[in-house]
Amino acid sequence: MRRRSGIGGRLGIGLVFLFLYLPIILLIVFSFNAGDSSAVWQGFSLQWYQSLFHNRLVMESVATTLLVSLLATAISTAAGTFAAIGIYSLTRKWRDPILTVNNIPMMNADIVTGVSLCLFFVAFFNGWRGFAEWVNSVQSVVALPERLHLGMVTLVLAHVCFNIPYVILNVAPRLRQMDKNLVDAAQDLGCTWMQAFFKVILPEIKPGIVSGALIAFTMSVDDFVISYFTAGSSTQTLAMAIYGMTKKRVTPVVNAVSTLMFLAVLVILIINNIREMQQEKMAEKRASFEPVKPNPFIESVREKLATPGGKWFKRVVAAALCVVFVVSVGLLAAFTGSQPVVNVCSWGEYIDEDLITEFEEKYGIRVNYQTAESNEAMYSLIKNGGADYDVIVPSDYMISQLIEEGMLEELDYSQIPNFELIDQRFRNLPYDPENKYTVPYTWGTVGIIYNTTMVDGEIDSWSCLYDDEYAGQVLLINNSRDALGIALKYLGYSMNTTDESQIREAYQLIEDAARRGVFQGKVMDEVFQTMEGGNAAIATYYAGDYLTMLENNEDLAFVVPKEGSNWFVDAMCVLKEAPHYDNAMKWINFIASTDANLRNMDYIWYASPNREALEQYPAWYEEQYGEELDPEIYEIMAAPDEVLDRCEMYVCLPQETRTLYNDLWIRLGT
Amino acid sequence: MKNKRSLFAVPYVIWMALFVVIPIVIMLVYSLTVTVTSEAGEALQFSLENFTGMGLYVSVFARSFWLAIVATVVCLVIGYPVSYWMAKEGPGFQRVAMALIMLPMWMNFLLRTYSWMSILENNGLLNQLFQKIGLIALYNSVTGQNIEYFQMIRTPGAVVLGMVYNYLPFMILPIYSVLSKMDQSLIEAAQDLGAGTADVFRRVTLPLSLPGVLSGVTMVFVPSVSTFAISRLLGGGTNMMLGDLIENQFLGGAYNPHLGAAISMVMMVIVVVCMLVMNHFGEGEEQAVML
Amino acid sequence: MSKELIRLSDCVMAYDDDVVLDHIDLSIRDKEFLTLLGPSGCGKTTTLRIIGGFLTPTSGDVLFDGKRINDVPPHKRMVNTVFQRYALFPHLNVFENVAFGLRMGQTVVEQESGQEVRRKVKIPEQEIRSRVMEMLEIVNLKGFERRPITALSGGQQQRVAIARALVNRPKVLLLDEPLGALDMRLRKDMQQELKRIQQEMEITFIYVTHDQEEALAMSDTVVVMDGGRIQQVGTPEDIYNEPKNAFVADFIGESNIIDGIMRADGVVEIFNRRFQCLDKGFDKDEPVDVVIRPEDVDIVSEAEGQLKGTVTSVTFKGVHYDTIVDFYGFKWLIQTTDFCPVDSHIGIKIDPDGIHVMKKSQYSGMFGDYSSYSEEYDEINDPTLLDEEEEGADDEE
Repeated sequence: MRRRSGIGGRLGIGLVFLFLYLPIILLIVFSFNAGDSSAVWQGFSLQWYQSLFHNRLVMESVATTLLVSLLATAISTAAGTFAAIGIYSLTRKWRDPILTVNNIPMMNADIVTGVSLCLFFVAFFNGWRGFAEWVNSVQSVVALPERLHLGMVTLVLAHVCFNIPYVILNVAPRLRQMDKNLVDAAQDLGCTWMQAFFKVILPEIKPGIVSGALIAFTMSVDDFVISYFTAGSSTQTLAMAIYGMTKKRVTPVVNAVSTLMFLAVLVILIINNIREMQQEKMAEKRASFEPVKPNPFIESVREKLATPGGKWFKRVVAAALCVVFVVSVGLLAAFTGSQPVVNVCSWGEYIDEDLITEFEEKYGIRVNYQTAESNEAMYSLIKNGGADYDVIVPSDYMISQLIEEGMLEELDYSQIPNFELIDQRFRNLPYDPENKYTVPYTWGTVGIIYNTTMVDGEIDSWSCLYDDEYAGQVLLINNSRDALGIALKYLGYSMNTTDESQIREAYQLIEDAARRGVFQGKVMDEVFQTMEGGNAAIATYYAGDYLTMLENNEDLAFVVPKEGSNWFVDAMCVLKEAPHYDNAMKWINFIASTDANLRNMDYIWYASPNREALEQYPAWYEEQYGEELDPEIYEIMAAPDEVLDRCEMYVCLPQETRTLYNDLWIRLGT
Repeated sequence: MKNKRSLFAVPYVIWMALFVVIPIVIMLVYSLTVTVTSEAGEALQFSLENFTGMGLYVSVFARSFWLAIVATVVCLVIGYPVSYWMAKEGPGFQRVAMALIMLPMWMNFLLRTYSWMSILENNGLLNQLFQKIGLIALYNSVTGQNIEYFQMIRTPGAVVLGMVYNYLPFMILPIYSVLSKMDQSLIEAAQDLGAGTADVFRRVTLPLSLPGVLSGVTMVFVPSVSTFAISRLLGGGTNMMLGDLIENQFLGGAYNPHLGAAISMVMMVIVVVCMLVMNHFGEGEEQAVML
Repeated sequence: MSKELIRLSDCVMAYDDDVVLDHIDLSIRDKEFLTLLGPSGCGKTTTLRIIGGFLTPTSGDVLFDGKRINDVPPHKRMVNTVFQRYALFPHLNVFENVAFGLRMGQTVVEQESGQEVRRKVKIPEQEIRSRVMEMLEIVNLKGFERRPITALSGGQQQRVAIARALVNRPKVLLLDEPLGALDMRLRKDMQQELKRIQQEMEITFIYVTHDQEEALAMSDTVVVMDGGRIQQVGTPEDIYNEPKNAFVADFIGESNIIDGIMRADGVVEIFNRRFQCLDKGFDKDEPVDVVIRPEDVDIVSEAEGQLKGTVTSVTFKGVHYDTIVDFYGFKWLIQTTDFCPVDSHIGIKIDPDGIHVMKKSQYSGMFGDYSSYSEEYDEINDPTLLDEEEEGADDEE
């Protein structure tokens, strides 16, 4: 007899639930934040929920996620169940090795699975291209598509790939527990094998199937890395969108989305629970022969459906729904397939989204806008052949690497008249000296952000990063290039030096400081949360981001130190063999216009390279918001020449230097 | 009939050959080669240097496995009692509790980890709470120190916390599943034979729940070893783990898929060995009990 | 007569509105073999579990050796149980299963400064080993020590369960329908074994079964239960020869139960005929139930008989014929070695000690008529009747 667990047990369970839900509650609370921080509360507001439904990228990614996850779950549940049944009727000799191989995807790091699948798909596509070309040259009846690329299909396949093992692992134990005689009994009573399957096996293993499906769905929704490498340029899942935002910052709009999803699932669970409880009550009543008072209407409907005519009705409705579903998917695919498109890959929170809609309406070209997590992630995907973007917006050093490796297409500047508006300072930059491949998008400086209440006086030098004055309160930027570059600059060397001794000297500076406990930690976009919350005194980051942090914490100040710093440019360029070259030109031209630049400046708080936009921005700002733009802020956003003069831009470093950077950086982390 | 049913396995075997085995082979090829750039372009060349150079990263391996073990043990210590208590409750409570345990996994992993950051930060939720209730002042007076906050984030402990948080449900569910289906008459038989509560647990409940425990340990340990973002966000980036290391090879400054593949090969082999050792104590597929 | 060991005093077991045990008073003596007998749902297993400590009665007392033990948990009671489905530990082999209780230690009662103190004392490994081996030999499982439980047959598992309980030398052994899963031959063997063990080891056995033959064969005392109430307590002979009411009469063996009127001490009237009997103590002209066992009826010629009737079916059973006879519309079962063909008119004679008179009870009229019994026989002999009956049955629905 089961005794109820005592107070101790209940308390224990309660504590664990508190532990599990504390961050969730926090997330939900911050979805109502009036500010755009996930850590600093600015008051109650529904703005994120309101903006959610206008935020096309997020909404699309949610739709994609749901579609992909549901599809992948359905397929993997069905396939996994059948596979489990098949595997379990094999002899042990076959069963064990198959199950071991089955477990491999679970054991592998996600990124390994993602990259290997990407390589596999790309290799397959290359092989297919050869095959299709041959077939098309030999006959002209059927025209096979020659260029396949990553997309919804590969994404679903990848998800199915890592979902099936979970399904099998859940169905298998139930199969083991099932009485083997049940199937024989059913067949003895006249069932065909199929009937026996549906009427006998399926109900027995149903709990396993349900739990396997649930887990598969959860894994699918949450996956990022594998999706990133197999989704291609036209599909983006919610997880990918969230990770894409980490380049800049993650705003509470994702909190809002997640809260809604969470609530939806909660509601479904509650409904399901109520239904089950009611079923149990009905079963109890029937068992004790109490009269069951059924709802007359429902009963009459149920009766009608049970008649032969009713059964056909059910089948027809089910078939009609299937047909509708298939047709609508097909229509959607055809529609989007026939429409002109342009594939863009940029960063999260890096464009005023109304611009996308405007472009689409103006030119009738659909924009597939995707975001990447970092320059290196973007590079990795391109290198593997898994990207078929048209326009990408990498940073300067990455552009020079891409050019060196011959991965960019030259631009047809005759189609980009707005290029004339680009300020002279931003043309013929070191990464693209002859200006053949790029049109600048934004630019800015790297500097020190510090909390005036936690620091004595004003900071004007990089030295505060390496001496003990603010030990434990300094955040080191988590990026080998930036961290070492700053140290080099502080020591008076060039940020682009290939001299190994200089680089090692810079590394030593950082390592010594780390050993002495100067650094609180290494951060990238976590710097927002940390500085806004007043958790650290000093950090290194980009000017535009400082301005965002300022909105949430007025105590912060920014400076480009006297030793000089890095200034960066993010520019638009086109990948080699981009599928929609002309559309890409149109997009680049559109974004380079003054109006687009003004609006982007306002949204991202990074400076624009467009001459007119730079001049007009303060006035434009005043018009928009009715108040004057603080000139200090504007100076930080669009650094004046004196500041830029002491700043250096990155160029691509040779392979050995890059490897050196990487090795040193790893050494720091261990 | 058995033969007919086993045909079901055939499509899956083909699938696995394509989507599991071939990508692994690709990875293996990458781990055994390096990219050589020459006049003709890039080519792969056989080399063992990826493996020989791995001595650099022994500390990363050690740390990853160590933290994974710690996280698994913590999950076990928390998860087993919770499963035990849950199994004793009524069916309605159990259903609700199970659903509630799975629910947090629906929130995006990154978001949940960010949330922990703001809870554990020096100026974050917990520390502010501690300050308000005077715990920090108390600590200062007792130990004679003068701190303003408890350092919780950017410690190995925070990394373990992050891992435990993410994988605890995977420990609870299989153990709970086995415990709830345990034959009550065995408990009664043990009591009948003179076993008090402690003895019943030690001699009957615990041994019979071992398949669930093994399953849970597997499902926590394996992903813990290859976890990546957690150490970056909660560990302050100073405790590099295998996942970060591998990620670094693909998404870091120097793009070196060969090294990345090699590291993950080694990781996989070690994990497989661990699993085989554990299987010895378990019973094959019985382990994989989830719900 | 040995002393009283266990007493259930006015025990009630109720789950909300469902009353499973309805005021049970039961006294169990030391060293006796007592059987709780009854149909499914009568409360016998519940009673057993209350004695074992797995259930606490809603009201009433459970006394062991005069002391109230309602709140004493099972592991502290000097009682061991053989479970219906054996409940053997699947993760232990035969030896370890049997040794389980011994490894828990032995309770030793000592006098310490005038107070009785109970302590658990560990049993040395040597002793455990010898006791387990001894017990395995008793149940004929020598050599099976290392076998895993899953590799044993039903009968072997049964014996392990018994050994596991007995090795602890309990004062009382509870057995919950332990032989239910065994085949006929094995069951009969085990019944003898259990009886022998009980007598040799002088342990009180409390046995639960629904098989009345088993109960009659093994028990010193039989407690017949139905509907949560004790219907009758007595020796097997008492229960059989002098059932208290129609339920007991029908449950134990075959009986014909007829409405009768007690005219005077020793005289009962059925079918308007008076019969001599041995029962006294009823009111004049009190309506009673009269029990006549099938084997107590002599078949004689019509002229000599006390009652006259017509044979409606005869079935050869080996030891005797099951003969259904119709007396004035009431069908009797008579077991006789005489063969009387169907439709023959016969007379019967019943000796006074073949008649047993019982007070009327709620069970009167429910049992004892062999109409349906005889219908089955008719159907077996005449298949055409079968179809008619089925059609009739459909009409009724």
